[in-house]
This record gives sequence, structure tokens and C-alpha cells, in this order.
Amino acid sequence: MYENIARNRTKTALIITGFIIFITAVGFAVGYYIDWRYGVNNAYSILIMVFALILAIIMSFASYYYSDRIVLSLTRATPLSREQDPRVYYAVEGLSIAAGIPMPKIYVIEDKGMNAFATGRNPQKGVVVFTKGLIDKLNDEELKGVISHELSHIKNYDILLGTIVVVMVGMISIISNIMLRSMIFGGSGRRRTSRSSGGGILTLILLVGGMLLILLAPVIATVIRLAISRNREYLADSTGALVSRYPAGLANALRKISENSEVKTANSATAHLFIANPIGKKSRVMFKSLFNTHPPTEERIRRLENMSLGVGTK
Amino acid sequence: MLIGVIVLLIVIGALVVILLLTAIGIYNSMVSLRNKVDNSWHQIDVQLRKRYDLIPNLVETVKGYAKHERETLQSVINARKQGIDAKSIKEQAEAENMITGTLKSLFAVSERYPDLKADQQFSKLMEQLNGIESNIAFARQFYNDMVMKFNTRIQTFPGNIFARMFKFNAKDYFEIEEVSAREPVKVKF
Repeated sequence: MYENIARNRTKTALIITGFIIFITAVGFAVGYYIDWRYGVNNAYSILIMVFALILAIIMSFASYYYSDRIVLSLTRATPLSREQDPRVYYAVEGLSIAAGIPMPKIYVIEDKGMNAFATGRNPQKGVVVFTKGLIDKLNDEELKGVISHELSHIKNYDILLGTIVVVMVGMISIISNIMLRSMIFGGSGRRRTSRSSGGGILTLILLVGGMLLILLAPVIATVIRLAISRNREYLADSTGALVSRYPAGLANALRKISENSEVKTANSATAHLFIANPIGKKSRVMFKSLFNTHPPTEERIRRLENMSLGVGTK
Repeated sequence: MLIGVIVLLIVIGALVVILLLTAIGIYNSMVSLRNKVDNSWHQIDVQLRKRYDLIPNLVETVKGYAKHERETLQSVINARKQGIDAKSIKEQAEAENMITGTLKSLFAVSERYPDLKADQQFSKLMEQLNGIESNIAFARQFYNDMVMKFNTRIQTFPGNIFARMFKFNAKDYFEIEEVSAREPVKVKF
């Protein structure tokens, strides 16, 4: 348990460091190219690199402190009060006592698909999110199984790593998108009228930076896959079962969830947070190789059913 | 010869340092586990206190409808007092078993008074009580898990040597006799 927390903290520090180095390196590469193109000595490479470094540090701080809010608004989750759903509220309250963590906030996503995830940077700031479909379709024991699974993610600090990854990946893809879009749309429009002027340095920065990021996207995806091992899902399943003392609850829940786990507001950046793959079957084909962060449901159910509860049933 | 002595001294010194560091590590981990046990006991205590606060209200509400059940009501009040006065974990567990038992007979009695059952205040208190009791069960589960970890740590080698040295004593489990006190596990297909 404690080794896991330490491992997650180390990985988070590594990912943030990697992110800062990566953005700075891209900045330097872009500047280096401009230096070479215009024949100036190191003027742009250093300038853009420093700018990129500062930007990356600010973004890292922002993602550490605000990533949970970003993720919640990305998935369009809204808070759920005790009055709205006492059943979910009391189940989360009780199970967080059993797991020995402060009670997390509860959010809900208005979606028919059945899914759930947890976020926050530490157990004190934990948030659990369920879809409406999950709350409606699962019975008490199954719901408790899912809640225990999410609480285990909070307890293991999986949420810190997972949430930071979302924001970092998201930012890289947003930056590359902005760069390429401004190049394709803004750039092509201008090119017709002012081609002779060479497009300017800004266009060049956008173009080279965007291209670099796009080219490096598979590398980033690989890094994420290495960081977020599928083992953490198995681990959260088993620690969750120890909290709820009823592995069959989660096993049955997973069986039900696998019928329809699609969440419309989820995307490839947030997919790994969820208890089951939230990407619809159609678009899954595209992302399968890149973001295969969920172990097969059948295997998870099999392991849960093999769990004997001889330990700690006192 | 002199070199041999120096090497021997260095080796002995290194061994002493390693032993000391290990001892410090084991001692610290025991202290942190003991603190975790104490903290998890506090979680139970919070829930128990909530139940103590609720019982007088419940007794008052029942009294309004069922005046003749003085004996049952008194036994609930006595059990509550015993719980508040409990000194050790064993005593506490006994008192809590008694409270749960007397509350059960109170509900059995309340079955005979339809007006009481229809009372809104009563059903609200009942709902709260159910929530608190399930939280007590969860807090108890966490506490017992922690106690098991702590006891295993101080009873297995090499922890047992240090435990004796620094006077770490095994903690009591918080046990509830009746199986039915724990929420029954339902299986639905």
C-alpha cells in the first residue's frame, strides 16, 4: 500500500519534470531552426527556450493545483448533494470510513452509459464521479463495489498521477492543435497575399512547434502507457473488495458496466481515469493501440471471483 | 596487526550503526502504526457519540406515545450511560452491544404503537440511527484492520523483540457479538 503511494508520487514528479523538459526542448528546437533559417546566432533558440521553460513551469503548477477542476469541467460533472441522492451519499460516507480516508466530494455526469472515476490531488481533496446511468442501473451491493474501487484509487494516490496526466496530455494536444490550426487557416490565408514576405517568425514558430508536437505524440502516448500500468486497476479492484468485503459486488457491477460504459464527454485524454473504457466502440478502434489502459473485464471479474476473503473478515 | 584491529573496529562500528538504524526504523514504524490505531479508534468514537446524542431524542419521542414501556426505555438509557462511562475498549464493546440490543427491543415495542410508527420525527430519527449504525460497522472494520496490522507487527520477528523493549502492547479488537449487528450481505442476480 505505502509502496504504491510512494511509487505514484515519484511517477508524478517524473512526469512533471519530463513535461517541463519536453516543452523546453521543443521551444529550443523551434528557436534553433529559426536561428539556422535566418542565420542569427542563438538569439531565438535561447529566447524561445526560456519562454517555453517559464510557460511549462506555470502550466505544471496550474495542473497540480487545478487538474481536478479541469477534469470535472471537461467531463461536465456536477456536484451531487445528500438530498439529491441519499443512497449514494450514505454509501460513500460509510465506505470512506471503512477505507480510512476523508469523505470525498460526489459528482455526477448526466449520461446513460455506466461508468465512474475518481480525481483530486490527495485524499483530502478527493472527488468521486459517477454517471447517472451507473447510479440508476446498479443495485446497492454493486454500487458499493464501484465506490470501494474508486476510494482505493484515492487511497493509493492513483488519482494524482492519473489527473495530472490528463492535463499534461491535454495541454500538449491543445498546444499542437492551436499551432497547426493557426498555421493551416491563418497561415494559408495570409500566404496568398503576403507570400513574398516569408510569413514572419511567429508563423514559423507555430509551424515548426506544431509539427514537432504532432510527430512526438506517439512517444508521449507510450510514456503515458508506461506510467499508468494496467496493474493499478487490478490493485484497486482487490483493495476495493477488501473495503467492501464483498468482491462479488464489484464483479457483478463490472459485468453490468461492460454492457454500456460509453461516456460521451470522455475522450482519449481522460479515458484512463474511468473504471471501464468510456470510449465508444466506433472510435475505440482508432485509440485502441494508443490508449489501451484498461485490462480486459473478463480477467478482472475472474480475479475478483477468485479472491478469498479469509483475511481481515473480523 | 594494527591494521587488522582497525579493520575489525570499523566492521564492528558499521554493524552497530546498521543495527541502530534498523532499530530506529522499526521503532518509528511501530509508533506510526500505533497512532493509526488510535486515530481509527477516534473514528469509531465519533460515530458512537453521534448515537449517544441521538438516543435521548429517540427516548423522548417514544415516551410521547408509549408511556407504559418505562422498563424498556430505562434499559436504553442505562446502556447509553454505560457506553459513555466505558473506560476500556472491551467495556466499550460490551456497552455498545447492550445499546444495540436494547434499541432492538425498543423497536420491537414500537411495533405495537401505530401512531408512533407514523410519527415523522420518529421515522427521521430511525433513518439517522440506521445511517450511524452502518457507519459504526464500517469504522469498526477499519479499526480492526489497523489493530490486526499493529498486532501482527509487534508479534512477529523481529518486531516482537523491540515491542517488548519499548513496551508496545497488543491492542484489543472492537468486537460485536451478534452477527446480525452487521448488515447482512445480500446476493442479487
